[in-house]
Amino acid sequence: MATAELCDLDIDELGRRYRARDLSPVDVAAAYIARIERLDKTLNSYVTVTAERGLAEAREAEAALRRGEAGPLAGIPVAYKDLYATRGVRTTAGSALLADWIPDRDASCVSRLRQAGMVMLGKLITHEFAFGIQFPGHRFPPARNPWNLDHVPGGSSSGSGAALAAGLTAGALGSDTGGSIRGPAAFCGIVGLKPTYGRVSRAGVVTLSWTLDHTGPMARTVRDCAFILQALAGYDPADPASSREPVPDYTAGLDQGMRGLRVGIPREYFFHDVKPEVVASFDSAMETLRRLGALVQDVSIPSIWAAPAFMVIMLGEAFAYHARDLRERPELYGEVLRDKLMAGALFTGEEYVQAQRLRSRLREDMHRALAEVDVLATPTTPGTAPAFATVLDPGFPFGRSNMAPFNMVGLPALALPCGFAPNGLPISLQLAGRPFDEATVLRAGHAFEQATEWHRRRPPLQ
Amino acid sequence: MTVERSDLTMDELRDRIRVAGVHIPEERLALIHGLLRDALRPVRAMDTREALTLEPAPTFDAAAERDRHGHR
Repeated sequence: MATAELCDLDIDELGRRYRARDLSPVDVAAAYIARIERLDKTLNSYVTVTAERGLAEAREAEAALRRGEAGPLAGIPVAYKDLYATRGVRTTAGSALLADWIPDRDASCVSRLRQAGMVMLGKLITHEFAFGIQFPGHRFPPARNPWNLDHVPGGSSSGSGAALAAGLTAGALGSDTGGSIRGPAAFCGIVGLKPTYGRVSRAGVVTLSWTLDHTGPMARTVRDCAFILQALAGYDPADPASSREPVPDYTAGLDQGMRGLRVGIPREYFFHDVKPEVVASFDSAMETLRRLGALVQDVSIPSIWAAPAFMVIMLGEAFAYHARDLRERPELYGEVLRDKLMAGALFTGEEYVQAQRLRSRLREDMHRALAEVDVLATPTTPGTAPAFATVLDPGFPFGRSNMAPFNMVGLPALALPCGFAPNGLPISLQLAGRPFDEATVLRAGHAFEQATEWHRRRPPLQ
Repeated sequence: MTVERSDLTMDELRDRIRVAGVHIPEERLALIHGLLRDALRPVRAMDTREALTLEPAPTFDAAAERDRHGHR
């Protein structure tokens, strides 16, 4: 099988072929490494490629498969956003501050995927300290969008989105404080899941904002995200926010379809300034869900307009995390990031507390909406990936986010492809659910994916 | 739930920068002003007397059930 075909197989297919002895994890790892070597000079999705380690782990996986002792994800290639600590492998967080940091232990998520048998291909570029979009002054060259190299892949899990879309890994981990898993998934035409707050450990992942940070899987299909989530989910004493909520089987109910599921569309806020081609794709997606048997209705979230208070919490916490380095070593931060982090020092204590109170109200209203429906559906982003020329303008503002409200309330939210714009760039659907009900969100996403072909499209790479 | 209160002004921003003792270059002030103004708009619109029992969560628990007044 040719390299391109091997690197296009999803996790489900790879696992089946490994177990049938039809395919070798070593051959697959080698194919991925060769493809990274060939394509990533242009895409810049990896900051570090761990070829030797990847091949060694692939050999271990192959041996374990032969013995019948393999973990559930044995031999599946994975790469980590360079925010996840990896033992013995440089972890930069995209920053000059950590340019030479070689952790002496793995992040909990990395340990869990290793135990499940996954094969580490390397570390994926992140925006500096996982903050927002591409700012001028980043230390590392930016990842580029495989669908159009002049456009951003989204952020901050930019390398994760680009690498998956380009077939440079089968699975990836991202982190999501205000949309950093779902944004790159949307802009790169892949799937990303921000699980419930507390569902997946943050231990060993560099902090941006303690109460908003989430970790989670990114892949090319919903089912693949479910496989990775299964290996990640569960209590971790190393993460103070980790939940003891039991972990269900995320793949067991995937094929139950949409019949009887209620889908709520919150029309306020989420459709403000959304591009017509995105609205058209969203409407078409809702028609598909109806056709599959879903009951689609509008719902109201009265306090949704409080969502921009997200920035008070995020900037306040980010400044608290970085305060000492910002004062003592400001030159080690990218200039625009530094100024935005400094803005976190400008809120009063009262404002931070009021923003947290607004957050409590938003959570109440979301829970009330989710008492009427099983999932909420919105466009993931209001438009397609912007061009570098647009976002590298230092004055480029943060737009209002359709993703950040779900960080505010901690609910699980999935981004998956639902169309393409006339400019050839992907459009994405966001589905959010009740606390710890990732299973229903994944079920709905999988049903949509099975009824459409958007996730099968590949970027025109040479 | 909402009260009328004006947006953050550029003068207020300059005062805040002085009090916080941080440096933000002049050419970035408009950007930072927009960031703070938008973030603070819902906070300033909140009537803090209306829901005195609505509590901020010191540790955030996505699944915590609360009533209209923030009580578990």
